[in-house]
Amino acid sequence: MAAKILPVIKFATKVTIAGGALYVAYDSGLLGDGKEGSVALGRAKAAVPPAVEEWMKYFGFELPATPKIEFSPLDAWNSGVQKSIHALSVAPSTVSDYTKQGFQYVKDLTK
Amino acid sequence: MSEKDLGQKWDRCLADSAIKFGTGLGLGIVFSVVFFKRRTWPIVFGSGLGLGMAYSNCQNDLRSHYVLHSKVAKEQ
Repeated sequence: MAAKILPVIKFATKVTIAGGALYVAYDSGLLGDGKEGSVALGRAKAAVPPAVEEWMKYFGFELPATPKIEFSPLDAWNSGVQKSIHALSVAPSTVSDYTKQGFQYVKDLTK
Repeated sequence: MSEKDLGQKWDRCLADSAIKFGTGLGLGIVFSVVFFKRRTWPIVFGSGLGLGMAYSNCQNDLRSHYVLHSKVAKEQ
């Protein structure tokens, strides 16, 4: 009798695990609107440091302090875009200057 | 729609895409391990579902400024 019930129990466990994961994702707003998603992200970011501290206390060792990274991808991207477009906009005048200088140099050589 | 609103909408879009891709990936991994004998296709399918949901949300968000919104008046 136990051999007959075991597959059913296994299947029920699997369904519970998968259904639970799906429900957790749905309930925390991960599958909803964009605004709900950013709310969930904020909650997760706020919940990570206390959770890390709990784990550290449980295991009894100190994690090395995460180095503060001063790099901001947003600022880097924005400045990159501005520099590239500026370079493109001054490109014609720069090229003409360089060609004039080149011609002058060649003229001086042939004098 | 002002530039600031547009920028915020795009930021929301990117954050939402990352979240939905990660959620789809995670759920795909769970389903693949639990039901489908650790094959790859549920993972790819889940990530694709997540990206598709994010695309649809982005589309609705960016269009919402130009779409007519209406309210149904309650019957007295």
